[in-house]
Amino acid sequence: MSYPSILLILFVQELINRREKLVFYMLILPLRVFSRLKPICFSRYSSIVFRNSLTLSTSRGKYFSGNSLSIYGSFVQEMLPRFVQQTRLSNEHELEILIDPDGVIPVLMFLRDNHNCQFCQLLDITALDIPTRKFRVKTYTDELTAMDSVTSLYTSANWAERELWDMFGIFFNDHPDLRRILTDYGFEGHPFRKDFPLSGFVEVRYDAEVKRVVCEPLELSQEFRKFELLAPWEQFSKHSRL
Amino acid sequence: MSIKRTTKIVGLEVIPNAREVLCSLYNKTLSLLAEMPSKSAYRQNTERIIKERLKIVSTETDDNKIESIIKQGQMEELVDKAKRECSLTEKMLVWEPWKPSLGPPPPGQWDWPV
Repeated sequence: MSYPSILLILFVQELINRREKLVFYMLILPLRVFSRLKPICFSRYSSIVFRNSLTLSTSRGKYFSGNSLSIYGSFVQEMLPRFVQQTRLSNEHELEILIDPDGVIPVLMFLRDNHNCQFCQLLDITALDIPTRKFRVKTYTDELTAMDSVTSLYTSANWAERELWDMFGIFFNDHPDLRRILTDYGFEGHPFRKDFPLSGFVEVRYDAEVKRVVCEPLELSQEFRKFELLAPWEQFSKHSRL
Repeated sequence: MSIKRTTKIVGLEVIPNAREVLCSLYNKTLSLLAEMPSKSAYRQNTERIIKERLKIVSTETDDNKIESIIKQGQMEELVDKAKRECSLTEKMLVWEPWKPSLGPPPPGQWDWPV
């Protein structure tokens, strides 16, 4: 049985000598969802994706000859067997490093500081909400998603994590300033969660009688409809394991 | 020989005795690595690259020559990398990444996208 899961994606940029062409990487990171009440939603694992072809910061050492992403993947796995679950290549030739959620900070710090890695810039963090058929992810404020903040490693993670908190309700430990960043003051719910209705909970309109904009609970003339969105063909090609 | 005034990189200041700093940082990292289990891939891989760098830095005396051999930018950039490697090694002694996996993923976790 598969669990509903939220994948965390981080974009990390490698600085090669600070002057040469920059290479972009996308990292998908692990996430732990703890429910205090019942196991409505939890995901223990996610992945790191490296986008584009890989030109690494060192040509020395046997691991970095040529353009070999898969060799690099097995290098990371060999270095951190405790945290790395699996490495694989997607059909788009992205390297994914699937790691244990407890290993976020160790793996990221390794990727930033090791001589063979040097991923010095974090571009973005994002997430995917993947509920399965049997479960629906329910959002309550007391349903906490505990996840180590990487703000101490990458200062650019600050706003990205606030956005994740706002949109998905992912809670980050040790974040210096975890407030909503995109939605309005007093907004309820996390819009990117699958249980958040497309139409939202409230509507805002100008009221001629009180002569101001009012915010009221949503009233729709038609009830929510369920659409069949499953395509009959395979949507994604499989990843190849290293 | 002229005195180096700037690295031409914002926030990166000139270190006059960069070679000595590099030597001490590499030696410190090596002594930290020595506390790790000798068979761990982490220690072996890191030791190899640090020893290689240390050999270059300790045999050559000319900064320009060192930079051209290592091809990783200026001495100050090498110091920056060495500093971060050193602090990483300190942390890794606590995290112990060479130990066996923390646990298998739940079945079907990595099947997405199907």
